[in-house]
Amino acid sequence: MSDANHTEQFFSEFIDELYAESDERLELVRRDLLSLEEFVDKPLIEQNLLDALLRHFHTLKGLAGTISLKDAEELTHQMENYLRAIQQEQITLSHKGISVLITGTQILEQSIAAHRTQNPLPTITSIMADLTVLVSNTSPSQQEEPSSPSPLPPQNNITQIWQFEFVPTAELAERGINVNLIRAHLEEIGTVIQAMPRLTEEAVGLAFDFLVETTINETLFADWCNDHGLTYTLHKTQPASPSPNEESPPLSNEHSLKKSPPPSDKHSLSPTITDPLLASSNLVRVDMARLDELMRLIGDLVISRARQANNLNEIKDILPISQWRSLQETNLAIEHQLRDLREGVMRVRLVSIGTAFERMKFVIRDIVGDTEKSVNLELSGQETEIDKFVVDKIIDPLLHLVRNAVSHGIEFHEERQSQGKPKAGKITLRAYTVGDAMIIEVEDDGRGIDIKHVAEKAYAVGLIDEAKDSLNTTHLLEILCQPGFTTQEQADLTSGRGVGMDVVKNTINDLGGFITLDTQMGKGTRFTIQLPLTLAIADALIVSVGGQRFAVPRLSVDEVIEIEETAITILEGNQEIISHRGKVFPLIRLVHFFHLTEEIKPHYHALIVGNTNNTMGIVVDRILGEREIVVRALHDPFIQVPGIAGASELGDGQIVLIIDVAALIRIVQQ
Amino acid sequence: MKNILIVDDSATMRRMVKVSLRSIKEISFDEAGNGLEALERLALTPVDLMILDLNMPDMHGIEVLKFVRGHRTFNSVPVIVLTTRSDEENRKTTLEAGASFYMTKPFEPNKLLEQVQEFI
Repeated sequence: MSDANHTEQFFSEFIDELYAESDERLELVRRDLLSLEEFVDKPLIEQNLLDALLRHFHTLKGLAGTISLKDAEELTHQMENYLRAIQQEQITLSHKGISVLITGTQILEQSIAAHRTQNPLPTITSIMADLTVLVSNTSPSQQEEPSSPSPLPPQNNITQIWQFEFVPTAELAERGINVNLIRAHLEEIGTVIQAMPRLTEEAVGLAFDFLVETTINETLFADWCNDHGLTYTLHKTQPASPSPNEESPPLSNEHSLKKSPPPSDKHSLSPTITDPLLASSNLVRVDMARLDELMRLIGDLVISRARQANNLNEIKDILPISQWRSLQETNLAIEHQLRDLREGVMRVRLVSIGTAFERMKFVIRDIVGDTEKSVNLELSGQETEIDKFVVDKIIDPLLHLVRNAVSHGIEFHEERQSQGKPKAGKITLRAYTVGDAMIIEVEDDGRGIDIKHVAEKAYAVGLIDEAKDSLNTTHLLEILCQPGFTTQEQADLTSGRGVGMDVVKNTINDLGGFITLDTQMGKGTRFTIQLPLTLAIADALIVSVGGQRFAVPRLSVDEVIEIEETAITILEGNQEIISHRGKVFPLIRLVHFFHLTEEIKPHYHALIVGNTNNTMGIVVDRILGEREIVVRALHDPFIQVPGIAGASELGDGQIVLIIDVAALIRIVQQ
Repeated sequence: MKNILIVDDSATMRRMVKVSLRSIKEISFDEAGNGLEALERLALTPVDLMILDLNMPDMHGIEVLKFVRGHRTFNSVPVIVLTTRSDEENRKTTLEAGASFYMTKPFEPNKLLEQVQEFI
């Protein structure tokens, strides 16, 4: 094998990990660039921020090089040069500069994505030209040099600064006490503003000094320090006396801001500042496929357990009751343990929605650009956790909704002011959980959807049969989600790209969730997305209809009621309605819907589903119980039936079909 | 048995280095994800060769290198600096600081292997 071949094959084995690491770095770059924006045109920039950005870009450059992405490598190199020029105070950060960095980062992201999907790479000519102009405004010294001692992060002047000394020994290391553990603990005590090694004459010839800024009282860490071989003294807030091996920078408030780096001293060691995001080394990265496999195995276990429960019921009369009871107890214990196991695995898959939300800031900034609009983004519930798979899938729909809100929802300054609204529009992203579901809301305070206009357009293209002035929100959403439907005469650049509302809706439905809409002319629009926290295994009500069994996901059922045949009112067109708790809503009989044999009974059960705008009752013969079901999607087009979301196996080996509640609501509304 | 200490803040990079070198018989690896950890390992365990990245979050590789060269017992450990491609100036600074060899990423696994074999 030639060397080149060998090298290529070698790298291909690591490619997924390299992509994952690039994603992580890009995430950090995006976050830091947004913070950096606050320093535009300011003479002083927080040094830590610049350091972090430079480091991320440098790592990205390395990663790009490793996967032979020459363009991306050059691009990051040039962005690094620009940041370095700022760091060295050769130029101030300009508006143009931050824009170019943001665009550059997006192109970088696209390049990596294109490389991954083996699509053509984006061109970098124009961004490189922009960067060259920015960088050429600096003096010529542009060498990459070892990072110079970083000044200190922001300090609170009431706090105390302690100096800790840690001397590593083999004995401590055996007890698991090492410099990483010490540093991690000191970070809990306060802010580690310096961490550096020092040569000593004793022991292993090495000691570590930490400067920690904290408001915590000494008594709170004294014991821990004694236990862990740590000595400490109160450090003066005056310039430290220089030791033979270091030059401690003076500690004062100005050092939180950028100062030109002191000349590199051959014998000095950089004070080091830990980045909490990178220091978290107790994390493992796991291939999603392995977690999926784990979930699948648990699914199989759930089915086997249900089968066992069934067998147990069958032998109830044969076994002595005491023996049977003990078997039954074990069976119930397994059921509980399985549930815990399932929840445990589910938790492993959960990530916070925050990173997805953060990306929206970027998008908004990008679309608003130079237009006469301003948008404030408000986030809440970023810490809400949801399945990783769901987050990945939901990003595109969220992007689309946010883009729409910015380009069609939020009005221009003038228009807003003439309506007595604040000049800047507001977009709110909210996430919270309700039971087993997660709700994500995308809300804007813009002009709202012009329902009349949508209705006219829908009539014109034949989506509705008669001209109307009003539509209910479900119907409105239905029309907006028709493939290709647009009220714009011309799809504009910003929201016209990427996915359309039809894809938004389908993606959410595929995830087992649904989307609803509230809008008010002149006031704004709110999309509410409801998603299951996890896929694959769900709690369901097992119901019987015309001798067949069906499963209805618990999540979508609000209430189960018993109804008398006499309480049902029949309207024109055989539409049955019922009044319950002061509300009147339509009923759908599954027995009719699926053309099953009807069983005449004096009373039925109805499952109340839907939200305030589209409540309806699903009429079934009997409720058989509540079970955990393992959802298997039906992909075969020959067995896809409207109203059926998938199938599941119950313990007795029989298959039940899972009702697609969202689809039923849609069908009834039409 | 020779012990190699790999210092890089990227776990992927560390693994790539290990995979490139695993054909060497009688070899063991130690890893460190930051400069302080690297120095601690050097002080506490016998290390025959260090492979060092320059761009790390807490302590720059050059500073690690200078510290190693200033230490009374482990100052003679050979250090291969393995860093993201950079300019001649950087290479000079690194060699002046006491690097035994300077290699850039992306690296060719066979080249790294050859180089490591020369030092152990």
